[in-house]
Amino acid sequence: MHILGVNLPDSHLARFALTNFYGIGHKTAHRLCARLQVHDKCKVKDLSPFQVTALASFLSSPATSPTLPRYPLATPDYVPPSPNTPAQELQARFAAIRAKRVENRARRGTDPIVYKDTLKDIKVESELRREIRENIAHQRMIGSYVGRRHAMHLPVRGQNTQSNAKTARKLNQMDRY
Amino acid sequence: MAVTNLTEPIFQSETRNSTLILSKFTPENITKKNIGLAAEFSLPENDPVRIFGLPKKMLLEFRILSKPCSVVRGVTVETKELLDNAKERSSLDMRVVLTGRSGCGKSYLLLQAVEYCKQNGWIVLYIPRATNLVNSTTPYVYDLRTQIYSQPTFAYQTLQRMLTVNRPTLDALELQTALVLEKQTVPAGTTLSALINIALKDKSKASCMVILETLLKELSEQTKYPVLVAVDEFQALYNKTMYRDPHFNTIAPYHLSMPRLLMEYASGRRSFAKGAFLGAVNDSDPMYPMPLELRDALQIEYMRPMSPYDKRSAGIAEYTKGLRALSVPEKLTLAEATSLFEIWMKDRALATVNPDTTFLSKYVESGGNPRDFVWKGILSTIEA
Repeated sequence: MHILGVNLPDSHLARFALTNFYGIGHKTAHRLCARLQVHDKCKVKDLSPFQVTALASFLSSPATSPTLPRYPLATPDYVPPSPNTPAQELQARFAAIRAKRVENRARRGTDPIVYKDTLKDIKVESELRREIRENIAHQRMIGSYVGRRHAMHLPVRGQNTQSNAKTARKLNQMDRY
Repeated sequence: MAVTNLTEPIFQSETRNSTLILSKFTPENITKKNIGLAAEFSLPENDPVRIFGLPKKMLLEFRILSKPCSVVRGVTVETKELLDNAKERSSLDMRVVLTGRSGCGKSYLLLQAVEYCKQNGWIVLYIPRATNLVNSTTPYVYDLRTQIYSQPTFAYQTLQRMLTVNRPTLDALELQTALVLEKQTVPAGTTLSALINIALKDKSKASCMVILETLLKELSEQTKYPVLVAVDEFQALYNKTMYRDPHFNTIAPYHLSMPRLLMEYASGRRSFAKGAFLGAVNDSDPMYPMPLELRDALQIEYMRPMSPYDKRSAGIAEYTKGLRALSVPEKLTLAEATSLFEIWMKDRALATVNPDTTFLSKYVESGGNPRDFVWKGILSTIEA
């Protein structure tokens, strides 16, 4: 399957296939799967179309993705309404509970709890490459040691140059990404 | 050399008749006189073992043995008597968890109970590996109506298996009240097997959980057939799950549909008018150890000195109320051990000259523990 130009092999577990994106490692992939309600042993071919579109729309711009609502979890004594209750009514009940919560907090004068969504800060693919390019360009612009070393294709972090440094000579460039 | 080239008679093990001739495991054979009887499980096409599956270690043993069999023990007769009493009473009075040392025969006893009940006409729901409900191997989706995470694929599989195993009894039972679903209404008077077929036909599996709950509700109200719910690896339902919610918080087991359903029957929040709930704990998997809350409820000894400051989850403790422990004896009696030894001996697993001394030495070395007696005692003679 192809998502945003990256091929995710169908037979791979979704949680590990997501690491094929530049900028997504195992931890972010795990969080992404949790966000999409994808279980650990789900293969890419078993992802539902809804999950695939949600994944694609999230990764196209993580920062502008909608905030996830905090749905209530049943207490031991909770009795659910009948199965034929329309979805709009259930959403309306949930919206009413949420509004009441906000109203209670406002009345008490306590600040609303701000939950940090770490997934909104991630950058993937072209955005991440652009950020790295900009960082290297910035180092060069201010005339720093790090910038000079990138320009000279030499190691940046104080490694030996008398021997080794082959990777640096090959990869350290101004237009690295 | 290819397998098909091995034509000598010595290689034709599949076609050779088994020398293991045993009595059948039937309800009539479970008596005090028959303690120590080796009995073979006759597995028809719709047997719970074939359809629901087996715990991992038991599956391996049954693959090695030429026939799936077990020994009738004293505790088997005790459990049989308990189940006979439970047949006419609510499952509120019979919520039992089989406990005991590792390898003492809890899973085998649970299987014997399942087979006994099936042969006696009970409706049986057997879950051989409860860890599969909580280890994030089945799809899950939040349901705003029930406010918990539904597991539609597992519900679908459970309905399919229950239908296959209990078809004649489910054909005889009917829905007492109409069930109104989103897309259709199932009228009262529909047989329970027809109700299950409605769920199985639904490709999206969206209605599976509702239909499973309705099925269990109908089974809990009817009094024609007693119902047995048997869960192996029971302690996994009381541990933290591997599932995460969209905010990456761990989902508690009682917020997942299948574990919650089982825990409600275990804790007496739901009960069958006639039937029983049997669980068996398992300490093979360190990911799902015996939790504190269950130890408290079943009054099992702690591994280390406990203090009031040790964390206990109130939510989980709610679902342990009313559970009773049935302690499976750690040791096999000599008669039981002899029978077990003879099963393996007749199946040609023994590679010794003198079986009598081997039997006594292995029995003493393993201390009578069934698993150690078979795996570290009898089967290790092959290596020696």
